[in-house]
Amino acid sequence: MPQENLKLERAVEAIGEKGLDGLIVYSNGTCDILGAKNLFYFAEFRPLGPHNAAVISKSGEAVLLVEPEWDAARAKRFSWIKDVRGTADFIKTMPDLMDEFKLTRKVGVVAYKEMTEGVYKCIGKKADTETADDVIAEMAYNKTEKEVAIAREAGRITDKGFEALLKHARVGITEYELLAEIEFDMRKAGADDIFNFMSSEKQNFAMHSPTDKRLSPGDIVIAEITAAFEGQFIQLCKTVVLGRPDPVLAEKYDMLLQAHDASLRVIKPGIPASQISRSMNKVISDAGYAKYCYPPYMRARGHGIGVGSIAPGAVIDDDTEGILKTGQALVVHPNQFLPETGYLACGETVLVTDTGMERLSKTENKLYTIEV
Amino acid sequence: METLQPTLKRGRDVWDRINMPEMEFHRRVEKIREEMKKENIDCLLLYGKGANEYGNPCYISNFAIKMPRGALAAIPLKGDITLIVDGFSRDQPAVKSVTWVDNIRSCRDVAQECLDLLKEQNLIPSTLGFAGLKELMPYPQFQSIINALGRCKIVDAQPIINKMRMVKSFREQDQIRRSSRIIQRAFDRVCSSPLSEMNERVLEATLDYIARMEGAEDIRILVARPMERGWTMRPAENRGISDGEDIITYVAVAFERYWSEGIRTFAAGPSHFKEKTSEDAAALYQKILRMIEPGVAVTQVCKDALGEIQKSPMEYLPQYGLGQSIGLSPRELPRIAMESQDHFIENMCFTLRLALKDKENVSLMTGDTILLSKSHRECLTR
Repeated sequence: MPQENLKLERAVEAIGEKGLDGLIVYSNGTCDILGAKNLFYFAEFRPLGPHNAAVISKSGEAVLLVEPEWDAARAKRFSWIKDVRGTADFIKTMPDLMDEFKLTRKVGVVAYKEMTEGVYKCIGKKADTETADDVIAEMAYNKTEKEVAIAREAGRITDKGFEALLKHARVGITEYELLAEIEFDMRKAGADDIFNFMSSEKQNFAMHSPTDKRLSPGDIVIAEITAAFEGQFIQLCKTVVLGRPDPVLAEKYDMLLQAHDASLRVIKPGIPASQISRSMNKVISDAGYAKYCYPPYMRARGHGIGVGSIAPGAVIDDDTEGILKTGQALVVHPNQFLPETGYLACGETVLVTDTGMERLSKTENKLYTIEV
Repeated sequence: METLQPTLKRGRDVWDRINMPEMEFHRRVEKIREEMKKENIDCLLLYGKGANEYGNPCYISNFAIKMPRGALAAIPLKGDITLIVDGFSRDQPAVKSVTWVDNIRSCRDVAQECLDLLKEQNLIPSTLGFAGLKELMPYPQFQSIINALGRCKIVDAQPIINKMRMVKSFREQDQIRRSSRIIQRAFDRVCSSPLSEMNERVLEATLDYIARMEGAEDIRILVARPMERGWTMRPAENRGISDGEDIITYVAVAFERYWSEGIRTFAAGPSHFKEKTSEDAAALYQKILRMIEPGVAVTQVCKDALGEIQKSPMEYLPQYGLGQSIGLSPRELPRIAMESQDHFIENMCFTLRLALKDKENVSLMTGDTILLSKSHRECLTR
């Protein structure tokens, strides 16, 4: 069965299980990397306007409602949902659509948190609502072969981004020029979205958007390079030194590499995601940095990664309860502040396989140096 | 025009205090407080969200949210301003580097943090001005604020801010000139130098690269193939562009928070582009532009513009509108639309765009950012 039909089939099953009249999968057209992009994943279309939704009835009819009206042509080409309707006024159109689909008693709403008061009330005046984000999250865990191929392509583009960093990072270039160079290569390689942060100091505190700061000898450049291909994000976290690295930096980075390797070794289906964090933290704690294994010295030991965001899978720390599943993509990163070196970046994206994991990018894990 | 919003604003993020001195913000605060007094508002809450609608808190603080999240500036009638940012405490140094506001609070729930602040400052009960909360704040957060502020009087303060943001100070005009110059350079580049490949993605990557190297903070690009049946504006795709084909290119650029917009119809050559012009379209554009003067109703301009187009040999394609005000958002109010209640005013910056089809069924689109002074309309993007 084609995957899109599976998505519809699962949505209809969930509607039945939850005793709903139907499901509304909403998007406000933005992509916060920390929140699931449910409509993008479900309809396979990234909306650009302020209000968009897939409406699914319990009998399996599906409509994609898109604002602005002119974006419907693009939606028709990308989405598997055949019935695409453009509207100049989502808030006026949605209640009529709910009547047409007989969504008048109880409706499941996905991405309720993205709705403003006007949107929520236009749905709420027609039917009782209950949040149903879990329906899409469940679907998104297991990647199909097509989705894995897309993830590998995103991995290739991310590698290109890091190659560009190595090529262009030099004394005198500003942070914003460096990121422009990196992203030019990523775009040409096919990236349809990019999420890059960096910092370039002798001791970094955190990664941030690029500034006018010019790179100078001895700077430690930390970067989070994340490319999306057909919506799927893949991330690399790397550290590059301009000039010969201080022996202390080399020693501490080696400790992070060991922590990273230890966490990769535990990955397999069926284990709790917290084991990734715990195995990483053990190496760092054994080296005498136990108190640095918690915020503000780090944020998370990894996270899921998917279409437009870190969902499904959310943040990975010592308390994460989620169980790893075959076909799940996740980022593993012992990104860490250490008193001797400042914040360091180290990490990559992997795919959980039946027997362990597959690395989705080819860039080697090591401390990189650029001669000055 | 609506565009795909990036997951992250990835361009140059600085506060250049020469371009935008701190004094500019103090003047705005002073003026806002005068308006607050008139409305008996004890504290004004300015909420903004995401890559497009960050303008309300940014107008006061200079801080623009990099991701599609919320930020709120709380301005009490007396005392210090507080900036609440949806984010992590480790991001505070980056926030501090672009704002003069000292009180910065990071949180994951802007509404809850705002309530905590109001309690700490004994502002419950009081009269609160809301700008952007009802329109932009996620409903669960907005509902929690409303539920907790039952004893407060809420005043819709968005009109106060809209009115102030509509008139651009000289500093703001200069920022929009800078973003406009970036657009000019990006368009010039694809017309003057060969592209490595005639492909929509390479065109997009090149425009993005030129703008970023010029210091752009955010760039939006849409394209259309007007020779294709049922064409619409859309993000670039991995599609080749043949010699002789037309391509409409929309570029919006933000420089140090301020946006500009330009639209060109290009004819593709073997390795670069040439702007395609039409005397009829250019004459029509100029006629409509001359209708715009301080004091004229927006709706009157719309009526007259459509009347003028009807008299011309061109057909108007209405779906992309005639334009809108521009500044701290690519789409500020008012829109140049029939339903607008506003008037054009002196020192307003706006975009004027025209999508037209000629007798031979050939479509083209043109658009520029315009600064309206007392007696002059200055095109900033040419």
